[in-house]
Amino acid sequence: MISLRGVSLTYPNGTEALDGIDLDIQKGSFVFLVGHSGTGKSSLLRLLYRESVPTRGTVVVDGVRVERLRRSRVPQLRRSVGVVFQDFKLLLDKTVWENVAFALQVTGARTRDVMRQVPRVLDLVGLPHKSRMFPSELSGGEQQRTAIARALVHNPKILLCDEPTGNLDPSNTTEIMELLLRINLKGTTVVVATHNQAVVDRMRRRVVRLDAGRIVADEERGLYFGNEALRATGTTGAPALGPSAFGVGRGLG
Amino acid sequence: MDWGKVRFFWGEVWRNFTRNAAMQLTAIGTVTVTVVLLGGFLYVRTTLAAVGDDMLHRIEISVFLKDGTTAQAAQALRSRIAHDHRVASVTFISKAEGLRQMRQQLKGQMDTSLLTSNPLPDALRVKAGRPDDVPAVAAHIAKLPDVATVSYAQDAVQRALRVGEVLARIGLGVVALLVFVAAIIISNTIRLTVFARRREIAIMQLVGATNTYIRMPFICEGIIEGVLGALVAIGLLAAAEHQLIPKLITALPFVPLNGNSANEALLALELLATGAAVGAVASWFSVGRYLRT
Repeated sequence: MISLRGVSLTYPNGTEALDGIDLDIQKGSFVFLVGHSGTGKSSLLRLLYRESVPTRGTVVVDGVRVERLRRSRVPQLRRSVGVVFQDFKLLLDKTVWENVAFALQVTGARTRDVMRQVPRVLDLVGLPHKSRMFPSELSGGEQQRTAIARALVHNPKILLCDEPTGNLDPSNTTEIMELLLRINLKGTTVVVATHNQAVVDRMRRRVVRLDAGRIVADEERGLYFGNEALRATGTTGAPALGPSAFGVGRGLG
Repeated sequence: MDWGKVRFFWGEVWRNFTRNAAMQLTAIGTVTVTVVLLGGFLYVRTTLAAVGDDMLHRIEISVFLKDGTTAQAAQALRSRIAHDHRVASVTFISKAEGLRQMRQQLKGQMDTSLLTSNPLPDALRVKAGRPDDVPAVAAHIAKLPDVATVSYAQDAVQRALRVGEVLARIGLGVVALLVFVAAIIISNTIRLTVFARRREIAIMQLVGATNTYIRMPFICEGIIEGVLGALVAIGLLAAAEHQLIPKLITALPFVPLNGNSANEALLALELLATGAAVGAVASWFSVGRYLRT
């Protein structure tokens, strides 16, 4: 689904954000990108929805060579990749419904499709009863769920989340991670960049650790600081929680 | 027809448009001023060209006959000139007739009753078919017998027209400058709207809206500003014409100022198109800066 080969990214100001990244992400998997701020997590995600173009190397997303994509084809890619941010990026003068519908309307979707898709994703994120509210009337978790609904409204194969819980308290964080797992279980590939250790350690999913623009660890069912850290301390850390621990599976078809 | 799409699109345009009313008014006002000047300029130029053309076509060659030329000789001269294929008409003006016409023309300006004798010679008034032929015809006539002097106003008229042409070019330059200024002001207005909506634009790009789609509401906004400005200007010009032209016709009876309504409708359309084009081009460029990814 996602494949990076020898990817380096140097920004015009000379900052080397990524250096020789090789990474494969299978269809339908759930992957954490972890590391300190400024280690290249966001830069890596930006390559996947072509906000940036690598200085070297190849980026393939859903069979498309992203770095070779003509500018006119970028909108097409963006419709197959949903993106969620720490700051939600909602339009404050539009309601929940309008924010989600906006994503479809600006791609010229037919009203019929808007009327069908918006309730579907609002239902998925559990916000159908808040559809007439404005972002300022929602909790942080609800705002992020609105943003996720917007990211999903095009039925993307991939959902990229850049610090999705960075602005949320622990209970809202749990809520959002549950939602992301549910989305993943429906077959969407989910990539989450985060530095929230508790979340990563509880979920025991694939963890790709970045440091100074390089991949320094890549473990299935990993921990934030790697399984070596676990062995060294001899503790189990936080209890490993799978989807069932979050009560995921309820209401899933 | 998907009315939901239409409503969404124009809703976006309307939201843009009402976001910064003061700036929109500035842009519309600038277009108005520009179009008023452009329209006024085009109107005056068309009228002047018509007047000039009319004057050129009315140029007559005055042929004064030598004193003592018999009526018979004058008649012979007249038919000889009339035979020239370049000549449209020849009229014989006798001494007495000439004086009567002069009195008529100078009525109220000079007391012609003071004239005790008639100073005018017999004359022929010759009209050429084409204004360009006037000099050659005049030169030919001057060599004929019984002709004392030949005179015509061609040089003066042509000089006046040439001055008019130079003035027209300067005016065109000024108007071009104004169109440019209007474009910049519209472009700035749109840039403000674009700036106010940069979050929305970023989100649109993120969710896969095409650049064309993102541009459209802004282009429409620019066109609306241009068209509204042009409409106000056309209204002002029409009012001005309605007020001024009758007075001008009374004041300048010899100038053919008869308005041509077909031309005026065409001029109005041209001005509208100019306003719309200026708005569209200006906003195209100002959005473009934000769309580079």
